[in-house]
Amino acid sequence: MPAEDQTTPLAAPGPPVGERPAAGAPDAPAAGPAAAPGLPLHLALASVSGLVVTLVWGLTGAGYFWPMWVWFALAVTVAVHAISHEAFGGPRDRSPADHRLRVAGAIVGTFLAGQIVIWAMSGGGYFWPIWPLMAIGTAFVATMLILNRDGLRWARARQLAERVDVLTRTRSGALDVQAAELRRIERDLHDGAQARLVALSMQLGRAEQRLERSGDEATRTLVLGAQRDATAAIAELRDLARGIAPPILTDRGLVAAVQALARRCAIPVGVDGDVPRRPLPVVESAAYFVVSEALTNAAKHAGDAVARVRLSQAGGRLTVEIADDGRGGADPAGAGLMGLRRRVEALDGTLVVEQPPQGGTIVLAELPDGT
Amino acid sequence: MAPEPEEEERPMRVVIAEDHALLREGIVALLREHDFDVVAQAEDGEGLLRIVGGHQPDLAIVDVRLPPTFTDEGLRAAIAARDRHPGLSVLVLSQYVEPVYTAELLESGQGGVGYLLKERVGDVRGFLDAIRRVAAGGTALDREVVAELVRGRDAGGGALLDGLTPREREVLTLMAEGRTNAAIAEALVVTPKAVEKHVSNLFAKLDLPVGHGDHRRVLAVLAFLRATD
Repeated sequence: MPAEDQTTPLAAPGPPVGERPAAGAPDAPAAGPAAAPGLPLHLALASVSGLVVTLVWGLTGAGYFWPMWVWFALAVTVAVHAISHEAFGGPRDRSPADHRLRVAGAIVGTFLAGQIVIWAMSGGGYFWPIWPLMAIGTAFVATMLILNRDGLRWARARQLAERVDVLTRTRSGALDVQAAELRRIERDLHDGAQARLVALSMQLGRAEQRLERSGDEATRTLVLGAQRDATAAIAELRDLARGIAPPILTDRGLVAAVQALARRCAIPVGVDGDVPRRPLPVVESAAYFVVSEALTNAAKHAGDAVARVRLSQAGGRLTVEIADDGRGGADPAGAGLMGLRRRVEALDGTLVVEQPPQGGTIVLAELPDGT
Repeated sequence: MAPEPEEEERPMRVVIAEDHALLREGIVALLREHDFDVVAQAEDGEGLLRIVGGHQPDLAIVDVRLPPTFTDEGLRAAIAARDRHPGLSVLVLSQYVEPVYTAELLESGQGGVGYLLKERVGDVRGFLDAIRRVAAGGTALDREVVAELVRGRDAGGGALLDGLTPREREVLTLMAEGRTNAAIAEALVVTPKAVEKHVSNLFAKLDLPVGHGDHRRVLAVLAFLRATD
């Protein structure tokens, strides 16, 4: 059937650019309806028109097969429809460069196929399409090179995005491990060294009592000295463990710990806290120390001010805001706030210090809560 | 242990909840050396509730941090035990000062209350004194806890405390720890008469109700320190 022969080349545009035929291409009308509602109708109308002219040709004596030119023209309209659909309405799950490459390939392929068909239908002979073929081919290759540069950029961007993903994941993993490790050290300090020192101090105490009874003052003085040292060591270990995470934070969570902090602060502090899900320990500690540092600053610079702490949790993020109505004076580049900013940023959070013109200081930290 | 004949004074019955064996055994040895009757020992909060229920002791000595959570398990168990046995006296040992925990303990039950840093067990005389005070229904707060309370009060409504002389502040602090006049006099190396004078002065300055008995006096001082006006 000549009609089929002539539409077949129009399916060719696909191969130069991809393995997957474009949705709505003329050879895939079955896949078309959803993606290209107009295209199957177009194809059907074209086929009907073709059949009608072929019928007319047959009825008028079937001489020179002129309907092939009608078929050809109809095929061109379908191809243009298919290409424009692909260009403007097709699926967008590919990179823009890939998409443009496909469209260009489809146009070039259709054009070349049309030339060859015209050549064949006009009786073959000298293969004149060789010249447009070469010209268009050269232009296509040039386009491809330009588009490909774009494609490389796209690939690079995707690579970078993947890298960022990996880094984000591994960094938060590393911080988790670090936080777990710190808590383990803290527990070891308590269960190991500290408990042993307490036991030691008690043994020394008992020894001291016996020496007192026996009247050996010189030895008793030595033992008392040893006991003082043991007590000092216990206090030092306690401070160390407290610097890792205050016990009430570990025991009761952020809101309770911040309330305890507020009670201890030298200026009156109100606390509004709503943290229904406990954030990761590392996030909790960072938020706690932000509040602690901000309140210390407020008490130092704010004079007779009052401060307000707000804790909230929404959309996987923990927000901590400490506002005072003092006269400002916190140095955002100061060691305390800088250290905290780094700590917060390492958790992919942000920390800003605002000093509004009407006075006061606002420290605002936002962190992913890791839940 | 075979039941011993009752002496003129019944030995104090004590239970201990402490997960660290070395420390627990040390405390037990120390208490037995000083004629306390350690009737049972536990290693966790559940165990504490069980032995308190089973032995009805005069005093429970409890570590704040116990298995399985190693957080404030011991404190919560101590408060639960006081809820079930309102007269129970509890001495909590902690490796850190946490005024919130002290407050919770003070608010629970009616028996004596103690909150001491663990290293105080090294000061044998002071530790035994605290145990006796708490078992008798009194109070024994660690001086660090009291210092925190005073700091908090200084921050909250400091004007009142500012009116005290340094000596009166010292007396206030020692009273908050739960010490008697005699003990305060000994600690400050002054006469009990002088202590009495300081006490009545500072009660007047702080406008505190003059209660009868050491324990009520301690409670008044603590209520004052914990207020945040």
